[in-house]
Amino acid sequence: MDMSAPLLTGYGIWVPVAWLAASVVAGIVIYLLWKTGESSYKKGTELERPYLSGNMEPEKGAVHVRASNLYWGFLQALKGYYDVLVPVHTGVLTDYMIWFVAVTAAILVFVGVLS
Amino acid sequence: MLTDIILTVAGAVLVGIFGIIVAFFLMGIDRIVTARMQARIGPPLIQPLTDMRKLFTKENVVPANAIPWLFNMAPVVALASAITILLYIPVGGFPPVLSGGGDLILVMYLLTLPALALVAGGFSSGSPYATVGAQREMVTMIAYEFPLAVVIIAIAWKLTVSGIPLPFMLASVQANPVWGLVGPLGIIGILILFFVLLIVTPAELSRIPFDTPEAETELAGGVLVEYSGKNLALFTLTQGVKTVVMASLVVALFIPYRLSAILPTPAILQPVLDLLFYLVLVVLVSFIAVSLIRVSMARFRINQVVSAYWMYLSLVGIAGMLLIMADHILGVV
Repeated sequence: MDMSAPLLTGYGIWVPVAWLAASVVAGIVIYLLWKTGESSYKKGTELERPYLSGNMEPEKGAVHVRASNLYWGFLQALKGYYDVLVPVHTGVLTDYMIWFVAVTAAILVFVGVLS
Repeated sequence: MLTDIILTVAGAVLVGIFGIIVAFFLMGIDRIVTARMQARIGPPLIQPLTDMRKLFTKENVVPANAIPWLFNMAPVVALASAITILLYIPVGGFPPVLSGGGDLILVMYLLTLPALALVAGGFSSGSPYATVGAQREMVTMIAYEFPLAVVIIAIAWKLTVSGIPLPFMLASVQANPVWGLVGPLGIIGILILFFVLLIVTPAELSRIPFDTPEAETELAGGVLVEYSGKNLALFTLTQGVKTVVMASLVVALFIPYRLSAILPTPAILQPVLDLLFYLVLVVLVSFIAVSLIRVSMARFRINQVVSAYWMYLSLVGIAGMLLIMADHILGVV
């Protein structure tokens, strides 16, 4: 397989090698620009402590933000949707089977009506 | 083959330099216009460049809790990936450097790369503020992807049913301005999609009212709180280049016209005229999508950002798409 050949989707094109080459060139140029800047700082001083609005830094575990907070904004905004959806996930296999059969039947009726 | 590679590399470097210059220009214009709307005089046009030069001379502090290699690499990756997107979009009235190398779907995915680099930088900072900021950046990214996809798919669908091959290619969009393919109902639909893309732009750029990942007043800069010196300079410049990217994308999708094709101009002056016209359009888009919205509104909470994009703006976008479809069906009938 020719790695440099474009991937044709029928609606568009992507040439991964061209993107990779362009990214590498851009990355090298930006890295060289970055290297021209000042790299030093006063090590072992207050500068290295995380900024916490003047508060003392608590123990590492106490300031750890848990991964469960990741989607807080998302869950909060779509609360109405999740309030319905979460209780439906009972963990009981027969419940899932009923949903599966019911949704499949609904789709078949819908497709039948359309055709 | 070798000539092609050399020309592509030269083009990439030139477009990168051009993108950075226009980024400084847009950042300068934004600061002046914003100041004038707030009854201030504002800084000179070159202030962003002066700020950047100063940041390059400042200490580049790496926090004790940080992962140094990731912390330092994130701004380089962010800026490099933002510049790479410019190679797929028509800039300055010229066709894209990699015009045959990618389509709108690719551009949509590439737009997430600078944001992901910012998220990686935030998580690697080892600061609670930065972690919360990085999480908000991810949620914001998920939120605006859907309306952005609706805009792109609606335009590509219209090109497909109009019998235009490769509808996701920007060259196809440019050669067939979508305004000329629809009737009155479709024009209303396109105006709605135009509005949706203008509202997606400030979220892509983390600007007010969608600057919740940085949120100076509550997160003290959030995802960027631990960044200083040259690293902060590169992230700031990334935001400028992304402004050029988004404004150029809006122009390419909705205003893909060249002034030289309308006004009779000597051949030698045509590129200059097209470049000036492009700059005017980009400044106009940047003014509406960034400066005007920034001055007129306050920051949304993160859950309001998700509601705004996933519910209101998505519905508005889908309504625009349905109008274009209705226009097509009625036109065919």
